Amino acid sequence: MAIVKLDKVTRSFGAKQVLGGVSLQIEKGEIFGLLGPSGAGKTTLVNILTGQLSCGGTAEIFGMNCGRIGREVYRRTGAVLDNCGLYERLTCMDNMKLFACIHHISAARIAEVLREVGLNGSERLRVRSLSKGMRQRLQLARAILHAPELLFLDEPTSGLDPATAEEIHALMRRLRENGTTLFLTTHNMDEAYRLCDRIALLHEGQIVEEGQPAAICRRHCSDSELHIVTSDGEDLSLPSLPQNAEVVAALMREGKLRAIHSAEPDLGTVFLRLTGKELTQ
Amino acid sequence: MTTAFALLRKQIKDSLCNFQALMVMLIYPLVAFVMITALGSEDGMSGMFVTMFATMHASFAPLVTASNILSEEKEKGTLRALIMTGVSRQQYLISESLFVVSVTLLTGSAFLAMDVFTRDRAAAVAAAMLCGAVLSTLAGLCVGILSRNVSAANGMAVPIGLVTALLPMLARFNESLDRAARYLYSGQISRVLDSGKLSGEFAAVMAVYTVLLAALLAILFRKKGLE
Repeated sequence: MAIVKLDKVTRSFGAKQVLGGVSLQIEKGEIFGLLGPSGAGKTTLVNILTGQLSCGGTAEIFGMNCGRIGREVYRRTGAVLDNCGLYERLTCMDNMKLFACIHHISAARIAEVLREVGLNGSERLRVRSLSKGMRQRLQLARAILHAPELLFLDEPTSGLDPATAEEIHALMRRLRENGTTLFLTTHNMDEAYRLCDRIALLHEGQIVEEGQPAAICRRHCSDSELHIVTSDGEDLSLPSLPQNAEVVAALMREGKLRAIHSAEPDLGTVFLRLTGKELTQ
Repeated sequence: MTTAFALLRKQIKDSLCNFQALMVMLIYPLVAFVMITALGSEDGMSGMFVTMFATMHASFAPLVTASNILSEEKEKGTLRALIMTGVSRQQYLISESLFVVSVTLLTGSAFLAMDVFTRDRAAAVAAAMLCGAVLSTLAGLCVGILSRNVSAANGMAVPIGLVTALLPMLARFNESLDRAARYLYSGQISRVLDSGKLSGEFAAVMAVYTVLLAALLAILFRKKGLE
């Protein structure tokens, strides 16, 4: 069941068109990744979906037009957005208590969520004294406090160290296992590949490719090539042709085959091939 | 109701940790206290100073505080976070206004304790302070809506606040300014604090400013929203 539906969504800022007819659907319980370089329109799309920006075309969330979403839809969604800040002079607990009170949620749930994001023990710390990683975790804790069905994450691991990013990835996987649908925007292709069930590549306001990350990479595998590592440590690249089958078989017979890989491009390469631009630009 | 209470509690905690906000709310009662302590009660000047500072307090402090709260929430993105939990914009504005008016009256009650306003004048003084707090809060919210950040809000609120706060004081020394100050809500507040009596002119000026500022707030809110 699609809980997010976009049909020919457009959005302009003055004369500049940021989104030029984006259409996609997000199914319940999946992690959907929107990949694109800075300025591709990712944040604009999230702002449309969260009811902060109007748009042309049709944008629906839980069957409700995004231009008219209200309390009922907000109660079913959570968001970790760059422009959704925390009260810096207040403590972690005060920040959480405010939102718990708005959502009518018990103190026990606050403790549970803080533990889940690894912030137990930091309840009394003021937000201004927290590191970037801790702030991000607190934002995540705030976003999942009311157990939303759909969670928007705009560059959730941007600027974080790998260990913290990995912890956030683990939490995102746990959320998916519990049935939460995640909408993730990122320009980190590795993050998208490892985490997302489906992705869409956004370039200058247009979706240029959509599907499962591995399937996209296979689809754009123009060089049919095998990468072989022998037990001598030698790297071989062989065109995937019938006449090379004997080479591979011989290596196997001699016990010299240590590893064999196909040579699909990564998402960054796919993006480069499709748009002529680097994903991380 | 729970949301309004949560917003109010958040604002109280946040303001208690915000030295600048505390100073804006406390500075005029503190200065007035220092002045009357220095001058002594037998000097007729003390009454004038308390009236002046009470007028400044009612017209300046709520304006700057309301605009600062709103613009800071916009700048830091906390307002967006609140709205995305289902808090309505109107609910937010009402909660913050209640907070600003309540704190202005609470800190302003220090003027009543300074033994300058006699008991029979207290009701008129409190009514004038309440009117000043409400109108200045409305003006502060207009400034907050127009400003993207705290610096921009201060750049607009401080000059407006200074004009409304200082004109009644300067009017004491200049007849032309006194005529002009009659049409300013802070000028009318100053007159009520001086005389201890509410007049028809006071009611008329307050009504006109209430309508004007409420209409301006409604127009800005419809046109610009809160973000």
